[in-house]
Amino acid sequence: MRSPRIAALAALLLLAAPFAGCSSGPAPASTTIGIGVDLPLSGADASVGTSTLDGIKLAVARANAQGVPGGFTFAVQALDDTQQGVHNPQQGASNVRTLIADDSVLAIIGPYNSNVAAAEIPITNQAGIVQISPSAVSDGLTLGAGAAMLRRANPTVNTFFRVCTTDSRQGSAAARFALDLKLKRVYIVDDNETYGLDLANVFARDFAKLGGTVLGRDHIAPDTQDFKALLLKIKGYKPDFIFFGGTTSTGGGLLRRQMFDVGMGKVAFMGGDGIPDIAEVAKKRADGTYYTVAAPNADLLPAAKQFVAAYKAKFGSDVGPYSANAYAAAEVAISAIEQAIVANGKKMPTRAQVLAKIPRSAKNEVLTPIGPISFDKNGDVRKPVISLYAIRNGHSAFIEQLNLSE
Amino acid sequence: MHEFLAQLANGVELGAIYALIALGYTLVYGILELINFAHGDVYTFGSFTALVVLVALRAANVLHGAGLILGIVAALVVAILACALLNAGIERLAYRRLRKAPRLAPLITAIGVSFMLENLIELWQGSAPVPFPNVIPNPELEIGALQIGVQQIVVVALAVVTMIALHYFVQRSRLGKAMRAVAQDRDAAALVGIDVDRTIAVTFLIAGALAGVAGFVGGVSFGSAWFLNGFGAGLRAFTAAVLGGIGNIAGAMLGGFLIGLLESFSTWFIGGQWSNVAVFSVLILVLVFRPSGLLGESLPEKV
Repeated sequence: MRSPRIAALAALLLLAAPFAGCSSGPAPASTTIGIGVDLPLSGADASVGTSTLDGIKLAVARANAQGVPGGFTFAVQALDDTQQGVHNPQQGASNVRTLIADDSVLAIIGPYNSNVAAAEIPITNQAGIVQISPSAVSDGLTLGAGAAMLRRANPTVNTFFRVCTTDSRQGSAAARFALDLKLKRVYIVDDNETYGLDLANVFARDFAKLGGTVLGRDHIAPDTQDFKALLLKIKGYKPDFIFFGGTTSTGGGLLRRQMFDVGMGKVAFMGGDGIPDIAEVAKKRADGTYYTVAAPNADLLPAAKQFVAAYKAKFGSDVGPYSANAYAAAEVAISAIEQAIVANGKKMPTRAQVLAKIPRSAKNEVLTPIGPISFDKNGDVRKPVISLYAIRNGHSAFIEQLNLSE
Repeated sequence: MHEFLAQLANGVELGAIYALIALGYTLVYGILELINFAHGDVYTFGSFTALVVLVALRAANVLHGAGLILGIVAALVVAILACALLNAGIERLAYRRLRKAPRLAPLITAIGVSFMLENLIELWQGSAPVPFPNVIPNPELEIGALQIGVQQIVVVALAVVTMIALHYFVQRSRLGKAMRAVAQDRDAAALVGIDVDRTIAVTFLIAGALAGVAGFVGGVSFGSAWFLNGFGAGLRAFTAAVLGGIGNIAGAMLGGFLIGLLESFSTWFIGGQWSNVAVFSVLILVLVFRPSGLLGESLPEKV
């Protein structure tokens, strides 16, 4: 009984061998170019992750409709970096390895979160593949010793770019916005993650520098459910507002919600671009929340009107906080790939050829719904803009924006 | 003074929830010497059943006055029944056939059941936290220097009433006496005609019902339900049960309140990021220096 089965299995393996070889060699006949995507697509970050992915899908659909040089078509290959309901750096790293292993993938868009990016950059840097994040804003991803550590496999090559701005730009803008709103006394809380802690640090420094009063700071432990003890402590300081460095899923939503349970419902709440979806957890209690987003308001940009209309037509929903950024990131990647195809005689380009076509100066800027984009040597955008929003009656309302052009 | 009292009230509220969950650990341990690691997830299940009922009744938006109170009672009752049946079902399917197996086997089974429940709840309600309807309006009452929310009073009152009811049940009722007898000596209890299987099943029903109450008050207090809530809350409640002396009912209540107060005051004095450290340091210290817990002297009766 046993030996014929083994023989059959061996035969099957032999048959499969040539096919197995195919996937690791150059795929000559393929006319599909993969745009790899890594985002949190389920769990607590699902709504922002999905609307971000939709931005990428829209850009890819547009490029395919317009026709790609050499007769190629783009295909979105999206992976989810959520584990146990929260974005997870290890899952992100594993997703990026999966995408890199597929030779048809010439660029990766994502991730959404800074701590996931910190786990992925060393891998994309080693592989030499272009990676563009729509939203990872932590300073250390592109600047200083932190970025040097991330690029240690290939120190002379930078493969990581972002179309958003940095924590330090966002934190100082938030400090200015708060003082504009006549909020002078702050208590700062953060979630101890890469993004949240950086943002809170910069905000604390700049808010004090501009004349605001920092009453105190606290960090919260992961998985905390009860914030009332912390809020009761904060209440004793009588702050004008609480600044939160973190995301809705790491505690921002429950913190805002429980402020009402300890009689702090009228105290303002402010955060960065981690909490635009706060109304989903805090419901009506989200009113009185302010947040900054490291992008211009897409509704106000003339170039963005088209994007907003196309997005609503295709997905039947409002543009998410990072949909436009994701669209822009995909457009930059697509533009670089198309130029590389042309330069390579309309044949499939290599990842290095794509990297060489990433826009580096005002001359070859890519026009996107969030403005013309080109990157400095660190991989940051050259003309950053920060917008302030408030939540009123459960909906986000644009208030003002700051242009931080150098 | 103001803040001290507010933190005290918050600690008591938190402690009431932990105490209810800790009772479930301790009841089951008392009768089977099994640490039922799935218990925290039964608590999560309670939160979600209560939430589903409240949402279906649109309790937060539509109901008022007596209707609202009826809706809250309905949610509570459904959560209690669902959790009691779930817990008894777990005992019947997963633990009963392992009753004569080495003690490690049911323990590992309990961990397996815990993972299974977590994933089933995730499948049912998704992996994002779900907001719990705001059913109890929260105006602040001032009693001297103490500011306290109506919600806090409801949470603590429900927990205390449940605990008093449990105490009388275990001490006075025939089934309660049977539970104590089985806990002391299963074979002897069988010899005098006590149906051991039935008694153990009842113990699981009661432990589940307590988790149902805890699930409801936890949802009200924290304002959200999440499929992994039971893991963290379960660990803290387990710590409370060990602190009080596992197997001892009064100990679980005392331990629950102490852990709640410790969490609240450690957040106040040393910062929110250290509250877990404070709580689990207690677990280690108790296990090292007083493994039988505060009230867990080798008592003649374990339930």
